[in-house]
Amino acid sequence: MLDRLRRALGSSIGSKALMACTGLLLIGFLIAHLAGNLLLYADSEGRAFDAYASTLENSPLLPAAEAGLALLFCVHIVLAVRVQRANREARDVAYRARSSHGARTPGSATMVATGVIVLLFLLAHLYDFRINRPDGDSLALIVRERLASPSGLAVYSIGVAALGLHLTHALRSALQTLGLHRPGYEGLIDKASLLLGIVLGLAFWSFPLVFFLGGAA
Amino acid sequence: MAASPTTLRLTLHVWRQAGPERPGGFEVHHLAEVSVDMSFLEMLDILNEQLLSQGRDPFCFDHDCREGICGMCSLVINGQVHGPEAEITTCQLHMRHFADGDTIVIEPFRARALPVVRDLVVDRSALDRIIAAGGYISTDAGSAPEANALPVSTAVADEAMDAAACIGCAGCVAACPNASAMLFTAAKVSHLALLPQGAPERDRRALAMVERMDDEGFGGCTNERECQAACPKAVSVAHIARLNREFLRSSVLGRS
Repeated sequence: MLDRLRRALGSSIGSKALMACTGLLLIGFLIAHLAGNLLLYADSEGRAFDAYASTLENSPLLPAAEAGLALLFCVHIVLAVRVQRANREARDVAYRARSSHGARTPGSATMVATGVIVLLFLLAHLYDFRINRPDGDSLALIVRERLASPSGLAVYSIGVAALGLHLTHALRSALQTLGLHRPGYEGLIDKASLLLGIVLGLAFWSFPLVFFLGGAA
Repeated sequence: MAASPTTLRLTLHVWRQAGPERPGGFEVHHLAEVSVDMSFLEMLDILNEQLLSQGRDPFCFDHDCREGICGMCSLVINGQVHGPEAEITTCQLHMRHFADGDTIVIEPFRARALPVVRDLVVDRSALDRIIAAGGYISTDAGSAPEANALPVSTAVADEAMDAAACIGCAGCVAACPNASAMLFTAAKVSHLALLPQGAPERDRRALAMVERMDDEGFGGCTNERECQAACPKAVSVAHIARLNREFLRSSVLGRS
């Protein structure tokens, strides 16, 4: 039984199933993250957002949640590297002429590139608000100031654009990998996947855009 | 009204490779009078006749039944597996789908697991080894059992037949951005998983076939459905979802 599970996780389908599960959980995290961020719009002083942030920071569950999130990211990334390496090696000579006739999309064709950009963006994001965060200040104020700067607008726009594009292929791919496929629902799942990427991408993009255009105050 | 031409002048860029592990490259050839009624393979026959008459080596390419059922013919034609028409093999492709003066790029199926034997011929025995790993049922041979002894509903029989329609041409591998054999493997796993005859070996079939598939050096599925679009028998990626289910179910719940 354990031997079977170990071999399954070492296989291509097992790796991708684990990538699909971690990916779906990370989508859940993004939705929760977005919901928290929307508190930045609740009042101009950032009181609601700061209250939410301090509740999270004072929660005894925070270290466990952060460790869980880090684990999700690490598993997703390590498996992506492994799967991608196998996929690259599987075609050692490239086609001279090559055309797509299936359901290849800008999102699906760039999963690796957008994944790398999202990882770099995640590191920059952690540096901004976690590692390099000034003590004592209102977090809402720090966020607004960072996003109102031209470099903040640039970094966060590129980061969330890559994230949105990555997500357009995420849901449909994860469901198919987990075997959740029903003939006749393909089109619906494709649309839902595209919509998820666009909606989450635009919603996260609204923060740098609004604070840059409106100024930090 | 101008009549459409009955013959074509073509420029062909054809892959030439002396053997496995040998360097390959494209050769350019011109054909002057290709009938639009010819099949693509007949056009290649004409090219080879022309080369032979010049004392040069003909191109090797795979073919057998030339009626779209054996799965032997291959080729990637202008970047498209089995050429520009959907749901056909290369032998069923006719030259009327090309225009006078066209340039056609002809390449072998490209995958590390399907090495070039010579020119346009690739070794597809990796697919046979995937089947040998579990794509069969073990049953005592004898007289045919009573037809109604194993009831199978029409819907299930139809779905199993759709999977069983795979002719093993490897077009799915050639079309996949990752040179994955998932659609091929899925077709056989799905076909047997749907039918009662496949049930006794169900718990080990998907595991053994996927393990073999990975060991052969095929890539993994990234769910872009290029295989389904290239398949001459229109085998659906729904069978890949069933393979994934079979694999995960067998991994977690299967009896050793």
